[in-house]
Amino acid sequence: MLIEIRDLHRVYQVGDQEVRALDGVDLDIRQNEYLAIMGPSGSGKSTLMNIIGCLDTPTQGSYRLKDKEIATLTDDELARIRNQEIGFVFQTFNLLARADALHNVELPLVYAGLKHEERRRRAKEALTLVGLGDRMMHKPNELSGGQRQRVAIARALVNKPSIILADEPTGNLDSKTGDDIMTAFHGIWSAGNTVILVTHEADVAEHAHRIVRVKDGRIESDTVNPNPRGASASGAHA
Amino acid sequence: MNLRESVGIALAGLRANKLRSFLTLLGTIIGVASVIAVVSFVEGMNQFVTRKLLNAGANVFVVDKYGFITSEEAWEEAQKRPDVTLDDAQALREGVAHASMVVAQANGSAPVRYRAKSMKGVSLNGRGPGYEVVDDQAIGFGRHLTHVDDSNRRLTCVIGSEVAEELFGNLDPIGRRIRVDRWEFEVVGVTAAKGKVFGQSQDRFVTVPIHTFQKYWQERGSFAIAVKSIDQASLPRAEQEARNILRSMRHQRPGQPDQFGITTSETWLELYRNLTGGIFVVSIGVAAISLLVGGIVIMNIMLVSVTERTKEIGIRKALGARRRDIMTQFLVESTTLSLAGGILGIIAGGSLALGVGLISPLPAAVSAPAIIMGLVMSTVVGMFFGSYPAYRAAQLDPIDALRYE
Repeated sequence: MLIEIRDLHRVYQVGDQEVRALDGVDLDIRQNEYLAIMGPSGSGKSTLMNIIGCLDTPTQGSYRLKDKEIATLTDDELARIRNQEIGFVFQTFNLLARADALHNVELPLVYAGLKHEERRRRAKEALTLVGLGDRMMHKPNELSGGQRQRVAIARALVNKPSIILADEPTGNLDSKTGDDIMTAFHGIWSAGNTVILVTHEADVAEHAHRIVRVKDGRIESDTVNPNPRGASASGAHA
Repeated sequence: MNLRESVGIALAGLRANKLRSFLTLLGTIIGVASVIAVVSFVEGMNQFVTRKLLNAGANVFVVDKYGFITSEEAWEEAQKRPDVTLDDAQALREGVAHASMVVAQANGSAPVRYRAKSMKGVSLNGRGPGYEVVDDQAIGFGRHLTHVDDSNRRLTCVIGSEVAEELFGNLDPIGRRIRVDRWEFEVVGVTAAKGKVFGQSQDRFVTVPIHTFQKYWQERGSFAIAVKSIDQASLPRAEQEARNILRSMRHQRPGQPDQFGITTSETWLELYRNLTGGIFVVSIGVAAISLLVGGIVIMNIMLVSVTERTKEIGIRKALGARRRDIMTQFLVESTTLSLAGGILGIIAGGSLALGVGLISPLPAAVSAPAIIMGLVMSTVVGMFFGSYPAYRAAQLDPIDALRYE
């Protein structure tokens, strides 16, 4: 099992009020699953994503990633897991504005401690894979929204992580570009990666093969999607 | 690790906001510049004074009535001592085995005239034979004064180049007679020009034989005796020998303090070092204050930078940056910033020192240690005042930082 979550709780203290963002979540995710976590805002899906992405730790319960207990790790150990095991794709792309595409993609490799030439080589490879081989020296503001998200995807893939964690990856894109990005995710999945989409949009979630709905800090439903969208266009960008 | 990247980011930031960067770095620039300037001046003076003192007085000590007086009581006490005479000089010449040269000296000043041209306030030096070695005086034209001039109490003199120029212009001074005070002297030599020291001409003098000086200006009174030892190593022995001779000539009992004074160039160097040491301490204090202010400004700008780039910090953390990676990045940035200020300060301070050195008599030497000191100081300021902002950046929670707009 890639991910094993047992009785996960996350409680925030807001003023003198306790907010139970996650209130007993159990979830197993296998290698090479294509999964969507759905829920309205305030449902706890962001908190769940943060914990899966090792940006946050649970108040109570267990989260095992590749048989390693994450809940008790220190900040620096979490940073290492984020670097090695998680590839983030954000709604707002979150690229460094002052760095060109190549440099943005190199960044995880910088923190992995790779040598300069090796970083260059792998970053170029990843950018070529998402179809931006000719845009490597462009800064984010010289790229379209779709291109920016592809840079972000290349950055997520470059360190060959166990999980691609995408938070509303099409939220800032028009529907046509959004479809292209979803096609790209399909390609990533079919290349053997585990993809977790976090979204509140049903038609985005429908690209996934398994849909987990979160509500009030609990898992409301966990269903297999019999007809994932976009499967026909698989491999277009991978 | 990502050192080059961090330095690059810092330099790009500097370039992007030139005015802001300049204002940010002003404190550091002024601090480092003032240190460099002061150190350069002190260093220049050191070199200069050491060269002058050690050159003129290499292995030389001077015996006179007073020695090195540091208080009024000492002065009053010294007044009562017997004069140092030319007989003392003769005794030293005969008795100090480790001396290579013993030269009696006396100083005064006198008006000097040649036909219609006259000069006032010209230094009048009475000198025993061999003075050119002790005084480090080279002859330009003619000859130096000799034993013969001295023992015959001749009315001959050697004049400084400035005196020669003012009195004679284009005329050849050798063999001409000038009036010094009330007496006519024949010019036998003109010394090579030495230039100015602290704006004071070194070439405005008339040197006459010491016995001539004694006969016409100083029948009584005390002389000074310069003793040059054979070499550096024998200086203390020569000094001891001179002391013994003078004490016995004054019939001094053992344990009684010397009834004369001995000063070496070391004595003067020590006084000089104390003086410049004071200047040094004060200027370091001033520099420390500007560096403190400069450091606080850097800290402020780094705190602004951390806030401005909260999102970037969040992104970096999400991608696997550890706390120490973030810490290092911001420390390198603040250090680069401060170091840039330091380099500008070194350039500014060095130019200032060299510029002043060019247009004024103050000597200046920009030395490697001063430059290294400037670099080290600015690095330390950058690291010290950058550490709190860097710590703040490193402690940021990745989720909060990512959410920051």
